[in-house]
Amino acid sequence: MSVYAVNKLCRDALHDLAFREALKRDPAAAIAPLDLTAEERDALLAGDVARLYEWGCHPFLLAYLTRWDLFGLTVPVYSERIHAVRDERNG
Amino acid sequence: MAEIVAGFGVPHTPHFPALVAREGPQSEVALLYAGVAKHVAEAAPDVLIVFTDDHFNTFFLDNFPTFAIGVADATSGPNDQTPMPQYKVAVPSALAAHIRAAAIDRGFDITLAQNFSVDHAVIVPLHFLTPHMKIPVVPIFINGLAPPLPSARRCYALGQAVRAAIEQWPQSLRVGVIGSGSFSLEIGGPQVPVGERSGFPDPQWTAHLQDLMRDDRIDDLLDEATTARMLRAGNIGGELLNWIAMLGVVGKHKPRAMIPHAGQGHAFGVWRWS
Repeated sequence: MSVYAVNKLCRDALHDLAFREALKRDPAAAIAPLDLTAEERDALLAGDVARLYEWGCHPFLLAYLTRWDLFGLTVPVYSERIHAVRDERNG
Repeated sequence: MAEIVAGFGVPHTPHFPALVAREGPQSEVALLYAGVAKHVAEAAPDVLIVFTDDHFNTFFLDNFPTFAIGVADATSGPNDQTPMPQYKVAVPSALAAHIRAAAIDRGFDITLAQNFSVDHAVIVPLHFLTPHMKIPVVPIFINGLAPPLPSARRCYALGQAVRAAIEQWPQSLRVGVIGSGSFSLEIGGPQVPVGERSGFPDPQWTAHLQDLMRDDRIDDLLDEATTARMLRAGNIGGELLNWIAMLGVVGKHKPRAMIPHAGQGHAFGVWRWS
């Protein structure tokens, strides 16, 4: 698991403008150099925030992706997908 | 001897500065902060301690402290692209170093931060409460966002340690303290409303916390504010710990004001006793 790398990617999308532009232009190429598992790479490119959340990625950071609709994650799409997770806070 | 003169609890919602810039000084949010700012001005602190939670901006998960204190001559922010003015603010480094040493002496192994900037959680409250940035600030960071969180009792005790440190400070100094944050807030998690990226899932908890603080029921507050309970109120619900640490500094006092913010997951509180 390299949840850290996904969290870092989200943070870098906020702080690193060149990286953000690269993510908009060609997401697969932009994340190619990152230390991600094949599953994480697939989940990111599919915008599968439910799986990323369940793997332990921090939702505050994941939600950054909606600011620029990265990986196809508009706010409505993100919101719909994140509702699919099992919320462990409710026991 | 330095003395604690007031405590304040406010939210740090990142879009509030831009909202108030659009809607003007008579808007609801502007008036809520102005009500607290009036008390800041009257209490006339020489220094403000700010209990804050870093949103992975000053620190990141490669190196994320449970507790940290800023010891420097100045800091700046916001460092997280919050749409608002950029500020530089002085840090009373000798006092901050003294608080750090005193806290460690009392069993709080608090991380040292030098050469740091701060995010919206420090700068949004200051923007509204001390807009000229003339009051030096000691930021104390509490992990309220990345579980496991420190316990409410531990954060209250940290506040008590800070209070003791201030009372040992030999020079005359008026010290105010701010707790920054929300009670119920979900960002990017499954409790957001359909179609939204954030929301306030637990209005009942938000109201209940205000009742506990109004009645100075600190023991009940510390018993009830478990990590599980705070996070049920939203994945940002751990920001309550900043208020709890502030209350540890303030001691046993009922608030002078506790103003709810309709439809939101936070409140505006003022503690003064002289």
